[in-house]
Amino acid sequence: MNAIDVTNLRRVFRATIGVFKRSVKEVVAVEDISFAVEKGELFGLLGPNGAGKTTTVKMLATLLIPTRGTAAILGHDVVKHAGEVRKHIGFIFGGERGLYWRLSAEDNLRYFASLYGTDPEVSKKRIPYLLELVGLKGRGNERVEGYSRGMKQRLHVARTLLHDPEVLFLDEPTIGLDPVGAREFRQVILNLQSEKKTILLTTHYMFEADALCDRIAVIDKGVIVALDTPGGLKNHVSDLSVVEVETFGAPQDVVDGLRALPFVDALAVEDLDQRQMLRVQTTRGAEAVPDLMAALDGQRVGRVVVREPTLEDAYVRLVGGKV
Amino acid sequence: MNFGNAIKYWRTMFTVAEMTIRHQLNDSFILFAVLFQPLIIAVLALYMLKDKGSEYAMFVVVGSGLTGLWSSLLFVSGNSINTERWSGTLEALVGVPTPFEVIVFGKNLASVVQSLLSMIASYSLAAVFFGYSLHIEQPLLFIGSLALSVFAFISFGLIIAPIFVMYRSVQQWQNAMEFPVYILAGFLFPIALLPGWTTPVSYVLPPYWAAIALHGTSTAAAPLGQVLSAWGMMLVFSVIDLMIASWLFKVMLYKVRVDATLDTE
Repeated sequence: MNAIDVTNLRRVFRATIGVFKRSVKEVVAVEDISFAVEKGELFGLLGPNGAGKTTTVKMLATLLIPTRGTAAILGHDVVKHAGEVRKHIGFIFGGERGLYWRLSAEDNLRYFASLYGTDPEVSKKRIPYLLELVGLKGRGNERVEGYSRGMKQRLHVARTLLHDPEVLFLDEPTIGLDPVGAREFRQVILNLQSEKKTILLTTHYMFEADALCDRIAVIDKGVIVALDTPGGLKNHVSDLSVVEVETFGAPQDVVDGLRALPFVDALAVEDLDQRQMLRVQTTRGAEAVPDLMAALDGQRVGRVVVREPTLEDAYVRLVGGKV
Repeated sequence: MNFGNAIKYWRTMFTVAEMTIRHQLNDSFILFAVLFQPLIIAVLALYMLKDKGSEYAMFVVVGSGLTGLWSSLLFVSGNSINTERWSGTLEALVGVPTPFEVIVFGKNLASVVQSLLSMIASYSLAAVFFGYSLHIEQPLLFIGSLALSVFAFISFGLIIAPIFVMYRSVQQWQNAMEFPVYILAGFLFPIALLPGWTTPVSYVLPPYWAAIALHGTSTAAAPLGQVLSAWGMMLVFSVIDLMIASWLFKVMLYKVRVDATLDTE
């Protein structure tokens, strides 16, 4: 039996618009996705904003009803047996909300332990253990409102682990954390993986997915466009090289011109204050550089580097170079 | 529900109540609604009745306590789910195995217990500052009435909370629902002073029967039959309220998961 089974899942949101002449607008967040996650696997969901990652996680966590399709956690249907599913899962949604800020961390944990039906005697031992696990030892009696964002995120992890769930949903858990906090958080995730937890992780950070995930599903516009191991996904771009070109204020029409060149497979633009980093994927490698320079004639160009593709490049290619 | 689950839910309910009280002790609006507002009402009423006997003072003490109970029910219990939604904790609460009704029952218990403090505060005020010698006529029946009143108020609150979540237009009437119930339920003066056509409205309000039982056992030696009939009405209303609430919670929890309104973000 798989830990997570998703079959033809679809979710449509309906919004009423207009004041006098009202109409219902439908937005398809998840078109049709299917995947399975084995027990003990760390499975990644990657995709741009609005791709349907959070909606998928919320359906699996019993917080949204799917419009169509089915999903099961450890064999329990997420709609028909939501109560049973909730005993076996834990979830974190990125951000600072979802805690009682006027209570201490210990009180927050004691509260949720009770809601998860944990025996009070077990909670007494487990709460200090979890606070130590997430690096909050000695800070448990402080009110949460005085915590940094990273501390709140780590408290979320402790809350999620109170009932020792078999399946964890981590939705962009490192978003907004400083580099040190994010690194510590990734170590917590690795520790959980070593405890044989099944983890479904959504993230924007490719290196994070590359370093942590056993398999990754790339999701775009509500459909899965690729599902493979990080190495397998990189093979999608093994025939390509990446030319990184640093420019200073290149206008959009010039970027569009580059994108239209026949040898350019995909192009991602990263804005860096006054500069842009253009990442051009091409099968021509270094040979493409003179033609790229010609297309950038008249623009101020800085560093130019040709390198091997990474998971991020595979992702860019899969979601159509719109990063 | 098996016995083990019943014990577990009972324990959870009290933990929820304890944590809610700890959390609300830092909320000045709630402290005002459940503690200071009834105290202000008590001061005004006691001042107006300063030349009357101590039985009037006891009526005011109990009545102001009831106003605190009703305000707490309306603003704290009624908003208990919406407040969780605004603070981003509703998803976490819905995502736990404990039935959501148990959680809201615990939260309502906390706010009602807190509001009973206003009765104690009014009692102290009448005794210390206005010099009344206060005593409860039928202490045992009064304690029974108080316990049943708390139960009836909490059960009534369980209906209000999901309605406020599903129908925002109803919540807009929240403020307008506060004072009419003070009057119609006879918290501060008997409903016999009101026009006759309002009496049926009073009869269908659980707070009215709470007021009958509490006033009857505190300020006068009400006949046992009258007290027991008020208890019976509170029990009947509580059972009906709990049945309606159970259905409303199922409807609400399905609707918020279809409409994606568990969170405000």
